[in-house]
Amino acid sequence: MTELSIQGLYKRYGAVEVLTDINLNVRSGEFTVFVGPSGCGKSTLLRMVCGLDEVSAGTLAIDGEIVNDVPPSKRGIAMVFQTYALYPHMTVAENMGYALKLAGEDKGLIAERVRRAAEILKIESYLDRKPRQLSGGQRQRVAIGRAIVREPKIFLFDEPLSNLDAALRVDMRMEFARLKERLGTTMIYVTHDQVEAMTLADKIVVMSEGRIEQVGSPLDLYRAPENRFVAGFIGSPKMNFMPVTGQGDGRLQVPGGTIDIPAEIDASRVVEVGIRPEHMQIGLADENTLRGNVMTAEHLGSDTFAYVEIEGLERPVMVRLDGEHTIQTGDPVDVGFATRSVHLFDSDGLALRRQKVSNAA
Amino acid sequence: MSSDATSLPDGTEFRPSPHARRGGLKAGDARFGVMLLLPALLAFGLIVLSPFIQALAMSFYKYTISTPEPVFVGLKNYGKLLSDPTVRASFVTTAIYVFFTTSFSITLGLAWAIILNEPFKGRTAIRGLSLIPWIMPATVSAFIYGWIFNSRYGLLNAIGKELGLIEYPVAWLADPTGAMVAVVMTKVWLSIPLFMSFFLAGLQSMDREQIEAARVDGAGNWHVLKDHIFPHLRPVFLVVVVLGMIGNLQQFDSIYAMTGGGPVRATSVLSVEVYRRAFEQWDIGMAATVGVLWVATILPPAYFYLRQLMKGAE
Repeated sequence: MTELSIQGLYKRYGAVEVLTDINLNVRSGEFTVFVGPSGCGKSTLLRMVCGLDEVSAGTLAIDGEIVNDVPPSKRGIAMVFQTYALYPHMTVAENMGYALKLAGEDKGLIAERVRRAAEILKIESYLDRKPRQLSGGQRQRVAIGRAIVREPKIFLFDEPLSNLDAALRVDMRMEFARLKERLGTTMIYVTHDQVEAMTLADKIVVMSEGRIEQVGSPLDLYRAPENRFVAGFIGSPKMNFMPVTGQGDGRLQVPGGTIDIPAEIDASRVVEVGIRPEHMQIGLADENTLRGNVMTAEHLGSDTFAYVEIEGLERPVMVRLDGEHTIQTGDPVDVGFATRSVHLFDSDGLALRRQKVSNAA
Repeated sequence: MSSDATSLPDGTEFRPSPHARRGGLKAGDARFGVMLLLPALLAFGLIVLSPFIQALAMSFYKYTISTPEPVFVGLKNYGKLLSDPTVRASFVTTAIYVFFTTSFSITLGLAWAIILNEPFKGRTAIRGLSLIPWIMPATVSAFIYGWIFNSRYGLLNAIGKELGLIEYPVAWLADPTGAMVAVVMTKVWLSIPLFMSFFLAGLQSMDREQIEAARVDGAGNWHVLKDHIFPHLRPVFLVVVVLGMIGNLQQFDSIYAMTGGGPVRATSVLSVEVYRRAFEQWDIGMAATVGVLWVATILPPAYFYLRQLMKGAE
């Protein structure tokens, strides 16, 4: 069943168009992540779903009802804000029960629902405290608790982890995954961090400059990005891009070497190729090889990132190696990679598809 | 210095940095501090403390136009004043004046701040214009209001007649209630900009997402105001109420310029009473006595305010 349906949605501030022709369906129980660089309109889209920003054109339907002109509190949604937006002069319990209190619910019922939500989030022990007496992670839980208590049809999360330190962020990310299992409610989550998107989402919506670039499961986006933007945005470390300098005999010329391409692809349309750092190797001459010099290497223990300078390329190519790999700066090296892991882009930045989606590991 | 040095077992020595601070103020620091305070202390002593002590002393003397030299009378002035119905009336007048000016200034200042906090075209210009009453000398404002309430060519009468609310021009300032309304209105008009600024600053420090969260939780305008904006502004309220009370207790110029304390004694607040006793009846001793009582009235709110201020500074 479709929980949220967005059709032909636009958002304009005067002459400035912030969102352009957004079309999206979110199924019931799905964890959907809006991801994109800052200023891409992902937060605006979430705020429109919430009802905090008005719809300029198009329709927005929740659970089969058009809600364009329905106030936020009547949409069956709950939102967790980036700053948590807890009410500073109310206790944790009062914060969590506020919506029910406004709805005129019975005190006993409010207490029961607050207690249940607190139990899920393990915050029972500080229900009587004020927000300022809590740590960042605890505040985050209270903010989520306040949303849970309302038993919404859709949870909305606006960059909920961005105010936490790195270690806590990983913990809370797991917490979100657990919450998703436990509640089974539709969730929409906004982030600029593609790792959060990859780890949490059933469905990722990649946005850029007010448009949806691609919608799909995390692995779909990783394996078969539809355009250069998605290819560059999804995956960490980022994909290496190289311009095509010429072609012949079913091979593309790129700085430092040549690349085989499948016969069904029209080589003349390819203007750029992309290869992920983890799909490249050093020293092993695979199907394709590029020549270059090691500019620098980062040894992270688990991985080694080698930056290989190739003549004719502005930026060095990054190669992800296992942590055991030792590599010397300045060494001339061969960078090898398989043809099936090469992404091909035309002059519009659109991916040229092989007939069968590759299973690049 | 070498006595503070520490060393590791291997003999590496560490000595304290010559730039290290030592605990507490040095003798020179304390002297410097006193020197910084000196100009303010001198000014305070000359302009505030010494006249007050003189006035306090004068309140124990009988000193009128008929006594060439002050005559010591002890607490007699106080006894006389406390049994004087006009002084008691003056306290009541002051209380009425302070209550209405403070409460209206705060209510309207807050309302105005909430309006000016909403985004609309020309907001910045209106914010700037709102400060005009504050910038203008109070006496000028008093004259403007004097014209508004004037019985023959006043704006209020003109509007009232135009709207058919009154048939004949009313001599507002000649009526005890009318005069009180007039002086209160003037003072409220003078105070709104200041109070509005306080509240606006408070509103601007409010988290926008908190209001949005409340909206999502189902709060309407009234609940946003009651559950979120008022609690957020509580510390501002405290300061504004106390400052407003102190300011209104001290008010003199706008009242004296408009009504001179009249008609009869209808707007004769303590400040006007002191002036009248001193410079109309030339009863300096009694004027000083009223003044001392007046200061005693201001002290509690002032003390409370300073205590809050100190608490905030810590």
